[in-house]
Amino acid sequence: MFNYYLRLARISILKHWGLSLLMILAIGLGIGATMTTVTVNYLMSANPIPHKSEQLYYVQLDSWDVNDPFDEGQNPPDQLTYTDSTNLMKAKKAFRQNVQAQAYAVIEPNDPEILPMIVNARANSADFFAMFDVPFIYGNAWSNQADDNKELVVVLNKETNEKIFGGKNSVGESIRIDGNVFQVVGVIDHWQPKPRFYDITTGAFNETEEIFVPFNLIAEEKVRRSGNTNCWKPSGDGFEAFLASECIWTQFWVELKTEQDKDDYLNFLNAYVEEQKQYGRFLRPIDNRLSTVTQWLENQEVVADDARMMMTMSFMFLVVCLLNTVGLLLAKFLGKAPEIGLRQALGASKSTLFFQYIIEAGCIGIAGGLLGLFFAFWGLIGIETLYGDYMQNLATLDFNMMLLAIAISFFATIIAGIYPTWRACKVQPSHQLKSQ
Amino acid sequence: MIEIGLIVRALLRNKIGALLIALQIALTMTIMVNAIFMIQDRQSQMQRDSGLDEANTFYLTNTVFGKDYNLQAEMQTDLNIIRKTPGVIDAIQINAIPLSGGGWSMALQHEPGDDKDTIGSALYMVDDHAINTLGVELIAGSNFAPEDIEWRASGQSTWPSKTIITKAFAEQLYPDNWETALGKTFYISQNQPMQVIGIMKTLQAPWNGWGGVERSMLVPFQMESQSSYYFIRTESGRRDELMPIIEKTLAERNKERIIRRVTTLEETRKRSYRRHNATNKILTTVVITLTLITGFGIVGLAIFSINRRTKQIGTRRAIGATQWQIMRYFLVENFLISCVGVVIGIAGAIALNMWLVKTFNLTPIGFELIVFGAVALFIVGQLAVLYPAKKAALIPPATATRTV
Amino acid sequence: MLVMNNINKTFQTGNIQTHALNNFNLTVNEGDFVSVTGPSGSGKTTFLNIAGLLETYTSGEFTLDGKDVGQLNDNGRSRMRNEKIGFVFQGFNLIPDLNLFDNVDVPLRYRGFDAKERRRRIEENLERVGLASRMKHLPSQLSGGQQQRVAIARALATEPRFLLADEPTGNLDSQMAQGVMTLLEEINQQGTTIIMVTHDLELAMRASRTIQVKDGRVSELDVVAEKVSA
Repeated sequence: MFNYYLRLARISILKHWGLSLLMILAIGLGIGATMTTVTVNYLMSANPIPHKSEQLYYVQLDSWDVNDPFDEGQNPPDQLTYTDSTNLMKAKKAFRQNVQAQAYAVIEPNDPEILPMIVNARANSADFFAMFDVPFIYGNAWSNQADDNKELVVVLNKETNEKIFGGKNSVGESIRIDGNVFQVVGVIDHWQPKPRFYDITTGAFNETEEIFVPFNLIAEEKVRRSGNTNCWKPSGDGFEAFLASECIWTQFWVELKTEQDKDDYLNFLNAYVEEQKQYGRFLRPIDNRLSTVTQWLENQEVVADDARMMMTMSFMFLVVCLLNTVGLLLAKFLGKAPEIGLRQALGASKSTLFFQYIIEAGCIGIAGGLLGLFFAFWGLIGIETLYGDYMQNLATLDFNMMLLAIAISFFATIIAGIYPTWRACKVQPSHQLKSQ
Repeated sequence: MIEIGLIVRALLRNKIGALLIALQIALTMTIMVNAIFMIQDRQSQMQRDSGLDEANTFYLTNTVFGKDYNLQAEMQTDLNIIRKTPGVIDAIQINAIPLSGGGWSMALQHEPGDDKDTIGSALYMVDDHAINTLGVELIAGSNFAPEDIEWRASGQSTWPSKTIITKAFAEQLYPDNWETALGKTFYISQNQPMQVIGIMKTLQAPWNGWGGVERSMLVPFQMESQSSYYFIRTESGRRDELMPIIEKTLAERNKERIIRRVTTLEETRKRSYRRHNATNKILTTVVITLTLITGFGIVGLAIFSINRRTKQIGTRRAIGATQWQIMRYFLVENFLISCVGVVIGIAGAIALNMWLVKTFNLTPIGFELIVFGAVALFIVGQLAVLYPAKKAALIPPATATRTV
Repeated sequence: MLVMNNINKTFQTGNIQTHALNNFNLTVNEGDFVSVTGPSGSGKTTFLNIAGLLETYTSGEFTLDGKDVGQLNDNGRSRMRNEKIGFVFQGFNLIPDLNLFDNVDVPLRYRGFDAKERRRRIEENLERVGLASRMKHLPSQLSGGQQQRVAIARALATEPRFLLADEPTGNLDSQMAQGVMTLLEEINQQGTTIIMVTHDLELAMRASRTIQVKDGRVSELDVVAEKVSA
């Protein structure tokens, strides 16, 4: 019987090809628009490190101006001072901890044929790599001792390793960075979490860095800072004064395994701030935060307002398309009144007929869904082109999304078809069968 | 007119079909009106003047890595060479680029002290060639004198005592009369005085989405910095030709630094507003597609509804109705449905607009746009029903008597 | 086989009550060829609808093949129609999108026969009405008379207890009409009960028994005690 209904559906859809095409096109457009914006939103709010996101915490302390809150009082500052990061690192109260800042440097390759190049760098702690599960292809991270001893070590990314060393295992090789000789200790594989959750202050979807060096080298002026800097009061002359100032430019992540560990760490932070108050710092009320990756991303509103607005509009667009479908299905099915009357006379019950026409609606829904996927595919390419590097590599339809598209289309069309089908099957056979 | 009562009663007997069209019209209007609203807002943002001579300016990044590099001497030599290049009007060193997304801002205050209210402004470190290089218009006061220019060491905390600010900034400082800002002193870094010696018409900050984007100040600082921008202005039409020449000249002159990212201001503006542009394109596509879908939906439903009433229409013609009267019936019927749809659509448009205003911090929609939306949808509806109505009018009166 | 006892059917529209059928009595036996005739508005259409289980009646008894029809719900009536009644309409009522094979197939699908059984019945009955060679054609490719024959084949395919024909020749010219009537007579001779509703008295005479309906009531036509030879 099911195959019979499929065949009848096919015949009917083909016979009224204009109407069917209109319906499928409308549904396809609605689904295409919706899936494009849903995918963008889904990917922007996806958890970039799901197996660990709830154990990694971003630290915020409110060291800001007592007269003028940082974020209109909503949030404490989004970075820490050098003083505070260094103190927290020294205290070693977490399972793993990482202080970091964005930087840049000039590499002078040994090979005089290769021109000096400027690379994006991250100055961070040894724990960075283990905390964020950074994949290595050669060597590994430097040790905590290397951090403390301010050793000139560097981890390269795959592309930089290709450019300078031709892609070979360069562990142990020397490399000249900003006039100093560094030693390569590791090379990481292609790694691009989306969003780049570990530092969203300069751009949530920026590319990961080309080289990684120990954080302390910034204070040694061996690499140059390039991240955001915010100061609420003047810092005094010179770099030393800057390091000791209330300017915030560092980020601090900790890894805490259990809920208890988190509570303990928060207590530690509170105690630390209390202690600092004695030195005349932290004049604001205590507002220390530990945010998991997901909390932090949400707090920083990584999903752009634009993306959300377009998703809302897409859903409304889809509703219009479905209303359209209800209308057209109504037109189509009511037009079948004579056939419905006849089938009833020949022995079909109302529920049998309902089933037959719901299947027809379902077929249209699946066709619309497939067309919608096609539109969504091009829609995402269009989005990438229009938005440029901001969205680079962000927009792909994964299998789940595709299934979702077909499912939404199928069920939405069936729901759209319920009223028309019910109306059509209510027809009195006797009225349809007389030609007068 | 005569038939309205008839039409309404007929519609009420077939509520669902009419309701479907009305709802489609309502939703289409809601989306269309607000999409146009967003497009207009983005468009007006994109058209704001940056204050620069965008057609003829470009910039590049100069990053020094050599060990014994004489920052001051080398930078002055660089600028001299650029300025002397035929076709170049002027050039300066600068710390940030308007509309580029990255730069410096400082908090300024009327009186010294650590607990005073502040006003934020973008800050550009330049020399006395800035006005000529940037292409900004000085509308009050005067430019820096060469002796006003100071050197800034890395991490230096003291500021020069003179500044040139934008009119918008002056308006924030002295809301009653911006012109009085000239000659006045305000304070930077809580207690360092700065005197306003000149006021520019327009110069935008690096961040186009910032509320203070029109507030900028020029400060007479040359930077002893390992990395800074050179900003260059050329004679009309010669920019593209000079860009590679200057890049090559600088790169070859000194190998202990890297010259890169030679960019025009036009490119910077495009990149700055890329998202606005993209959103606008997408919204435009949505509006057009939506209108087409609703239009075709109306056509489809109208054709069906007329097919059902073929006998009735034929009978009417047999009784004496003219073709035009038949057409008019359907045009009026569609108009009535559109009325219902538009009324719901107005409510919907306002509701959506309130949400958008809240989310994006915009000024609420104007009445004209809502009226435009309503009129547009009436027109779409009438155009859509025109073809089916014409077909209806062509139904021959003889169908009244046919039985099969 | 079909017994109607004191069947009443009243319609209520606003404040007006119409008595379409008034104490209508009829008994049809196996193998009968009964024609039901009467002027417009006499109630014969209502009789047809009730006999075909297409409408319910207000009061009375209607037994079909020993089963009391009044107890049945919508599903039950559908099943009865499918199993016991074969319809032949004035307007043929073939489904235009389906070919002849599929058209005859429709009631068989609702019966639930397997593919082999359906095929057998379809081929057999199309053969019976002389149209087996055109199985794959669409109704639009056939003449009126041929379409009616297909409708008859469809009606017979389920092996119903009786055929219910409503003005079977109403849309046909005289030559095609003859053909169809001859076919019906043949089928009746082969043992199928036929109830035919028509306003054409001459046509009605070709049945073995004629009922006249007037104002919702039955009266047998005395005039047709003997069959008028063609």
